[in-house]
Amino acid sequence: MKIESLDECLRISEILELTAVNSAQFQDEVRSALGDSPSVIEINLSQTRFMDSSGLGALFALYRATGKHEGVVLRLLNPMPEIQQLLELTQMQLLFEIVRR
Amino acid sequence: MAASPLEQVRTATLRIAFEANFASARAASAAIRAFLAEHGVPDKELFPYELCIAEASNNAIQYSEGPSRDLKLVAEALITPVQVELRVTDHTAGFVLKERIPQPSPLADRGRGLFLIQTAMDEVRYIRGAKENILVMRKKRRAIPAAAAIPGQGPADALTLEKCSRQLAESRSQMTKMAEELLLRSETLSSVFRCCAELGRIDTASEGFKGRLFADLLHLTSADWYVLRLISADGTKLLVTATSEPDLSSKPIALPAAGGVPTSIEAVVAVSQKAARFDVRECSDRSEPLRSVGPEGAGLVCPLCFGGERVGTIAVGRRNGDFPLGRLQDDVIGTFAEFLAIQTLNLRRQKEEMRNRVVARELEIAQDIQQLLVPRSLPQLAGFGLAGGWKSAREVGGDFYDAIATGEKSLLLMIADVMGKGVPAALFATEMRGLLRGLAARSSDPAELLCGLNRLLYKDLSSVAMFITAQIVHVDMEGRHLTVASAGHCPPLFVPPGSRSVSMLSIQGLPLGVRPDTVYPRHTARLGTPAALLLHTDGLTEARSPSGVPYGQRRLMAWLKAHTIPGRNATEMRDRLATELNRFRGDSAMADDQAFLLLVEEAAGAAGPASTSETRTRLRRTASPFFANS
Repeated sequence: MKIESLDECLRISEILELTAVNSAQFQDEVRSALGDSPSVIEINLSQTRFMDSSGLGALFALYRATGKHEGVVLRLLNPMPEIQQLLELTQMQLLFEIVRR
Repeated sequence: MAASPLEQVRTATLRIAFEANFASARAASAAIRAFLAEHGVPDKELFPYELCIAEASNNAIQYSEGPSRDLKLVAEALITPVQVELRVTDHTAGFVLKERIPQPSPLADRGRGLFLIQTAMDEVRYIRGAKENILVMRKKRRAIPAAAAIPGQGPADALTLEKCSRQLAESRSQMTKMAEELLLRSETLSSVFRCCAELGRIDTASEGFKGRLFADLLHLTSADWYVLRLISADGTKLLVTATSEPDLSSKPIALPAAGGVPTSIEAVVAVSQKAARFDVRECSDRSEPLRSVGPEGAGLVCPLCFGGERVGTIAVGRRNGDFPLGRLQDDVIGTFAEFLAIQTLNLRRQKEEMRNRVVARELEIAQDIQQLLVPRSLPQLAGFGLAGGWKSAREVGGDFYDAIATGEKSLLLMIADVMGKGVPAALFATEMRGLLRGLAARSSDPAELLCGLNRLLYKDLSSVAMFITAQIVHVDMEGRHLTVASAGHCPPLFVPPGSRSVSMLSIQGLPLGVRPDTVYPRHTARLGTPAALLLHTDGLTEARSPSGVPYGQRRLMAWLKAHTIPGRNATEMRDRLATELNRFRGDSAMADDQAFLLLVEEAAGAAGPASTSETRTRLRRTASPFFANS
């Protein structure tokens, strides 16, 4: 996993899986990167091949963690079709912008 | 009681026991995914199964308590052609599985796992036991999508009801079309077979089979008219041979010479041998013969050809212009056209064969007749040899000769040429021979015999405007005396007594069949020693060399003089004369028949009084068609 902070944008990428195995670690790493109070958090899911409900829970936790900061944009980028389906099934699109580009 | 049939299904199963931690659970779900992929579950469908194993395992781990944490969990996958069943065995206290778990709020902390499992699978059961519980998850497999079987194709879309109905309708329509095509083709074949069967029964020249065939053609192609044109024997015209209605018949269409441009549609098709559609409404040529089908007529013109041989054209269509278009329609008409071409060619060949057979039979008859024209054997007198030769320019000649012994020392020789050839001439020749033999029983006077023959033959000959030149010679061996009468025939050649040269007896006389009451004068002459007498037809003297020079009387007389040598026999002389005539003619065609009779004294003085008592008339086979007929 890779986390970059550029201007006010936090970019998280190279996530191969987001599951019960690594969801806690994911939360810890992202939370520690929130110190700069980014206005955009962009999670690139283009390489994420598998995600389970723990992974979804980690995303929800992020929403919760940033929800205090008004106006922060949470963006999920280029999820694979199966992951996109999973996100929609659990209504994550209500909390995150799902963007393809 | 008989056992009911067993339902047997072959399955594949994977069972994985793993430690109760997330990493092992993750490895187990990945292994189940790989197993299912290996057993034919498409890539795009693997995610839900992998997810379900992961969710069930994670739950089992999260809710394990106390010593049960040390127990291994079990994940299993069982795959059949129609279903995938997943099982996860846990050692928790268990829970009550709701029939349907509602969609959790996006803001809920937990509860997504079981919801996802229920959503992904068709059937989920939780079997609670004393020591372990099993979560059973089943999902029907999709009908094997075509895309899975055909590499390189995109994913098969979910088959919606609408799509299914559309596909069904399309399939039905295709089936109907195929059935129609099959029916049309089989009816075409039936028609052709029926026609073939009729060909064996009825006179093929009659319209019967054609009428039936065309009725079938019109029926099968929904046409209401046809025009059949065949190419004329000389290949210059297309002639109307059959039409559905008399008003469609039109004048012959001229076919252009090689390199020329045909103008009418049928001529274009006949020349190009390619079928063409036409529509009178689109035709600007006022002289187009197919305009006769009406101002809105349309149809197809097909060439009749087989094996590269052009036979004609068949035009088929409807007068009101709505002639169906399409490959099938063209194919059906094409099949009929080919069949018609084959039949027409077969008929022509049969007729030709028949003609050839008739000609061959006529030739056989003619050759048999020819054998009758010259005697199979000639009478011979002691000391004299008699030989005859003939050669026809055609199969049946009109030249012939005969020899009749009238006493021990006398002969009647006759040579004749029927003016006219072929079988009728041969028939007169045989008739004349018969008459002569009858008349010779009463008289051996050549003049009387010719008068008699003329009287008897005149009516028949004059009615067909034919005549016969003939010559009759009575030979008295004892007195070496010749009595000759001639009916317009070329003069006989002989060697008179005390002479070394050859003479000819020029005698006037009308041919037989010119006048009913002709009187023939009688001439006499004497034979020298050795005696030689040559009777011949004008075919000998009029024979031409390759440069067109006639053999002539003079040359024939010179030949006879040169070959009248004591002791020479008649057969040898005949052969030499035949060779001489062939040599002279070379490779030029024979213009006329040739026939001759040679009387030769083979032993000088043999016919003298001393030997008379020993002389007997005997028969020798010395007359034959010794010239090879070419």
